Amino acid sequence: MATLASVPLLRLENLSITRPDGSFVLAGVDLTVPADGVLGILGESGAGKTTLAKAMAGWVSDPLRVTGGGIRFRGEDLLSRDVQKKVRPRIGFIGADPGNAFDPTLPVGVQIAEKLLAVAPDTAAAEAKKRVIALLDAVRIPSAARRFAEFPGQYSGGMLQRAVIVDALINEPDLLICDNIIQPLDVTVAAQIVRLLKELRVRTNAGIVFITTSVPSVAEIADEVAVLAAGRIVERGLPMAIARTPQHAVTQELVARTPRIWTGEPAPEPSSAEVTPILQVSDITKTYSVKDRARFFGKQHVQAVRGVSFDVYQGDNFGLVGESGCGKSTLSRLLSWVEEPDSGAILFEGKNIAEMTGRERFGMRRGFQLLLQDPYNCLPPHLPVGRTIGMALSIHGVGRKETAERVRAAMAEVGLSPDDLHRLPVGMSAGQRQRVNIARALVLEPKLLILDETLSALDPVEQGRLLNLFERLQAKHGLTYLFISHDLAMVRRVCTRIAVMYLGKMVEIADTGGVFYDPGHPYTKALLSAVPTLDERPYRTEDVLLDGEPPSPIDLPPGCSFTARCPEAMTTCRIKEPALWSRQPGRLAACHVTAPAP
Amino acid sequence: MAFLATFLIRRLAQGLLIVLIVSFAIFTALRLVPGDPARLILGPMASDAVVEQTAREMGLRDPIPVQYVHWLGQVLHGNLGTSFIKAKSGGEAAGGRDVSALGDKATVVELLEQSVPMTLQLAALALVFAFMISLPIGILAGMNSGGWFDRFAVYLGSAFVSIPNFWLAIVLALVVTAELQWIPSIGYEGFAYTILPAFVIAIEMSPIFMRSLASSIASAKQRNFVQLADVRGLSKRRVFLRHILRNAAVPVLNVFGVQIGAMLGGVLIVEYIFNYPGVGLLTVQAVLERDFPVIQGVALISACLFVVINILVDLISTKIDPRLDF
Repeated sequence: MATLASVPLLRLENLSITRPDGSFVLAGVDLTVPADGVLGILGESGAGKTTLAKAMAGWVSDPLRVTGGGIRFRGEDLLSRDVQKKVRPRIGFIGADPGNAFDPTLPVGVQIAEKLLAVAPDTAAAEAKKRVIALLDAVRIPSAARRFAEFPGQYSGGMLQRAVIVDALINEPDLLICDNIIQPLDVTVAAQIVRLLKELRVRTNAGIVFITTSVPSVAEIADEVAVLAAGRIVERGLPMAIARTPQHAVTQELVARTPRIWTGEPAPEPSSAEVTPILQVSDITKTYSVKDRARFFGKQHVQAVRGVSFDVYQGDNFGLVGESGCGKSTLSRLLSWVEEPDSGAILFEGKNIAEMTGRERFGMRRGFQLLLQDPYNCLPPHLPVGRTIGMALSIHGVGRKETAERVRAAMAEVGLSPDDLHRLPVGMSAGQRQRVNIARALVLEPKLLILDETLSALDPVEQGRLLNLFERLQAKHGLTYLFISHDLAMVRRVCTRIAVMYLGKMVEIADTGGVFYDPGHPYTKALLSAVPTLDERPYRTEDVLLDGEPPSPIDLPPGCSFTARCPEAMTTCRIKEPALWSRQPGRLAACHVTAPAP
Repeated sequence: MAFLATFLIRRLAQGLLIVLIVSFAIFTALRLVPGDPARLILGPMASDAVVEQTAREMGLRDPIPVQYVHWLGQVLHGNLGTSFIKAKSGGEAAGGRDVSALGDKATVVELLEQSVPMTLQLAALALVFAFMISLPIGILAGMNSGGWFDRFAVYLGSAFVSIPNFWLAIVLALVVTAELQWIPSIGYEGFAYTILPAFVIAIEMSPIFMRSLASSIASAKQRNFVQLADVRGLSKRRVFLRHILRNAAVPVLNVFGVQIGAMLGGVLIVEYIFNYPGVGLLTVQAVLERDFPVIQGVALISACLFVVINILVDLISTKIDPRLDF
């Protein structure tokens, strides 16, 4: 078998893939994937990463065409259908969209077993099931045997990504292609997945291709890195060399854009304490009732927000961070009074919103705007953007002429050209759409903007531009921002005060410096340990990284809800729920461990 | 199992409410339209006094809710009343002129017992035809969406939709039965008499099935997990049978549930034209003759059928797609 060793596992020879108009997606890509070890491929969005990932699995779909070069798997032409049939069982593919990787109408385990039986027909069905459960267990999916029979909709995003990994690994492939697999995940979950891959590379004998936009994660996992830009490989090297001394302009930008958390510019300082709060939130709760399918009149109660209090000061940038499902979005709906809290009060400029008359509340809304995450679904598709932006003004009774002027002014301010006035949203990029949304909020001259994951759908370059825009607008109009985000690095850059939310509660509220340099809650530490950064971390991932899943908000355990995942939990934590206490002026945390003994 | 039990109890309770509302609406509407059933039964020669007396005996002068509750009480005992017009023999009671013949009229239950199986047979055959037409065309169109066959299916569907059912029925009866004498129709003397009416209903229903099947298959094909299945090593056949069809089934089933109502409407016209002795013909005659008990009976049965079929559709849908929650 000496020849086998000399033939590389996968070889792309001068591969070109073109669109129907003749433009290149990949232009002459030369890559060799070794039989074991991890090849990292780094590139920003639009560089051709997904096309490359699919091509490595022999998957080039219409309308794209291979117009030059070839792909060889162990020397065989992977573009021929026969070879594909033969070698596909040897290749595992993990995509960026775990939510759509499985048929939603069949149990996850059944589908993985189906795949195993399809590629290894000699396996007995019972044996297949046993192997799937064993592997689900190995990637730390809790109670794997029960999860085997559960449907994709019952899995969380992180668990689905693990299940997709199991699906790719179940028949012990020789090549594992990971296309941007951590992109859609929360930071802690993404860190868990990277850690899992690191373990797997030791346990399996597969060659791994790890394709990503994230310099820190590729540096953590890869043995060798190639940088892809506009369909070409522009730089190759060892991960540390790429991260420390990037040569090509694109690599330099990727590295420069990687957030610095503990080095670089100091944390933004909160404004002095005398300023009046523009928004005061005291002890608000929200519980949703959902039908319990197993019981006749049964209801389940989802405690989405469980007693949250905080103040936002005039001119501040307040950040609210937490993972998916922690109640951030419910909170933003409550703050913008789209829904009313079950209890507690929200005061805007000192007035309780609940006690306002309809007219007062209507007037208040001018000063109080919400910007949402999804730039695609929040613009009416059949209205020209000029009309969309102006609509808010006409609702508030502004005359037509003044409306037109103010719409133009707002559009110029956010960097939309006057030609866009009559365009329909269709065909606009995500960034442009988000600018339309910002203009739509700005025309009302608000005092407070709530940005609910407003930037998460955008690529980092556009994100940076919009952050600059926000800074400019703040300086000019004295705006106050409330950023709701899972992106710690972004929050670190712009926010002056930060609240950390876990399962519907604030676990820590402090100035940015406090949160990042002196966190008072183990959950904050875990989040920090998971932020993708090239900085030396003050917290070792191994010590503080979370395992498993947060408990369900339907069935909360007594005591501190973080107990089950907390590395420092004590007996008290299981009994008594900790309250927020002031550790230092302006720094609050809700934890028995860091609290002084009573 | 708990889910199945609660599902059935809840849905049957809802269904019962729907049936009650529908039957009450029909009951009220029938009593508000002009035309006195007592006068119809007794004929134009009877004196007003006799008509009035008969009407009182029949309870036709009581307030409508009272009549309804009375009727409902009878329904619970399995008694849907007696036809005003139809005689026990099945034919019409000589224009219903004979007052004393009131006792010899057919009960609604008897009339339904004769006609419901006939209509079920017609509907079943119509469904078989409709699926024979729309399944292959819809699936092929969906698998080749945007291609020439898909466009052909669209044209075919529009053509089918544009053909008026009464026109097609008359043409088929004239050409196939009268001229060519291939398949008998008009009246009923054997199973063959079901074929043409069933075909007409099938032509009317199939475009909707075709279109919904084609579009749900085309969209299922675009789903990420279907595209990925090839890379995961599943065969095309398996992906189609186990994943595409499964995901396309739910929307089609829902269309089916709704279409049952449309089919009942189609049955009415087609049975009347072909003089096919089913519920449709019975209904048309009953409406023309203001035969209240029969109309009520038919409405009740149709409403029940509609409710039961839609419960089944939803039950099967939740079995196919566990995310659904009815």
